[in-house]
Amino acid sequence: MRNRFMLSVAVLLVLLSCSCVTFAQTYGTKGYSPGAWKPDELPKGLSNPNSFDPHNLSGVWSMPTKPGYFERHSLNDKPIKIAPNVPPQMGSEVYPPPMTPWAKAKFDAALVSYGPRSVPPGEGNDPVSTCEPMGYPRDLWEANLRPFEFVQTPDRVLQHMQYHDLWRTIWTDGRQLPKNPDPAWNGYSVGRWEGDTFVVESNGYDDRTWLDHFGNPHSDQMHLVERYKRVNIDTLELDMTLTDPKAYTAPWVGDKITFVQVKVAIFEEICAPSEENHFNEIIRDPAVSKAKP
Amino acid sequence: MRHRIIASLGLVVGLVTVGVPLLAHHGTGVAYVRDKEVTLKGTVTEWFWANPHCGLLFDVTDEKGEVVHWGAELGNPHSLSEAGFSREVFKPGDKLTITGHPAKSGAPRLELLHLMLADGRVLPEKSVKGNGVHLDDPGQ
Repeated sequence: MRNRFMLSVAVLLVLLSCSCVTFAQTYGTKGYSPGAWKPDELPKGLSNPNSFDPHNLSGVWSMPTKPGYFERHSLNDKPIKIAPNVPPQMGSEVYPPPMTPWAKAKFDAALVSYGPRSVPPGEGNDPVSTCEPMGYPRDLWEANLRPFEFVQTPDRVLQHMQYHDLWRTIWTDGRQLPKNPDPAWNGYSVGRWEGDTFVVESNGYDDRTWLDHFGNPHSDQMHLVERYKRVNIDTLELDMTLTDPKAYTAPWVGDKITFVQVKVAIFEEICAPSEENHFNEIIRDPAVSKAKP
Repeated sequence: MRHRIIASLGLVVGLVTVGVPLLAHHGTGVAYVRDKEVTLKGTVTEWFWANPHCGLLFDVTDEKGEVVHWGAELGNPHSLSEAGFSREVFKPGDKLTITGHPAKSGAPRLELLHLMLADGRVLPEKSVKGNGVHLDDPGQ
């Protein structure tokens, strides 16, 4: 513990002494990839923003781990008490706007693994349990355990989510959203700065993805507006509004999410069907008596 | 600070409190009886190291002398590698003492809480969040 602290102090002193940062460089992290590079194998003086610039979104962003902070799993879910010893990701409930009949039918057909409607594993039909794409914004709700990063280039911002190695291209070259896009798993996104707020609009999402692990649906008419604001060097706020007239009769305004910078790098976390199937075969299916133990 | 105080009350209590984020994934919360624990002595037959969750198979000889094939569910390799696990930490034939939440179905499967190797080492070594962030890191 003390050695880690001294290492952090040493790295910080090196970084402060070198004024070599621009946000066009690779994202900064003091951390390392567990299972790959060890701290002493990293170059000295990793790039890290050491002065606050609200137009610099670089960093690895996660939800805070401090006690009492509710780790978000949808736009406006709240903690609820199901039973003693239920972990946080099971004991929450989400409050969407009223659904259209189309959306209600999809919602009722979703056999979920989380929250009050959860069914035993192996009996669910969550597409992610067979390594289907997470889509967006569902992948964002993984940020409590699997963070994301922004990579800024002259004509686009790339948002890279750790879970399923998901990349979104957010075009900042002035183009508008496409008028009649073919549905895409991760949609189509454009971004612009309004003062110190990075506003991202997106559409064209494939309706096969779930909005969250509670099974809330979205259609290919979903339109998202996200407002990102880096309020200080370690904090990024997000306000999100979802409009989807085919699924919800009113806009769904999300609660503000606060992300914090973390000191570990994004690492590869890809869902490989062969690995998922093997795990289910040897561990999960026997746990619910679907196969001979 | 809070995590240090909890850890000082006993390794088991500390691991139960902060070990949960290691195991967060679809289905994990519903498959196991969270207010029960079993402890077993077994011999490793397979160690499966993959995203998003690892699995450990081990044989347990019951009081009748019959061999029961057990399995344990663990979290993802990256967070586990921060807590003392690795791709090579177990080999078939290794003797372990394993504690976890048993499966609701009654099948010989559990959600791992902690285990002890033959040399006395206990895993997981420390509290860690899913992406490898240490929960007791003062910087977090």
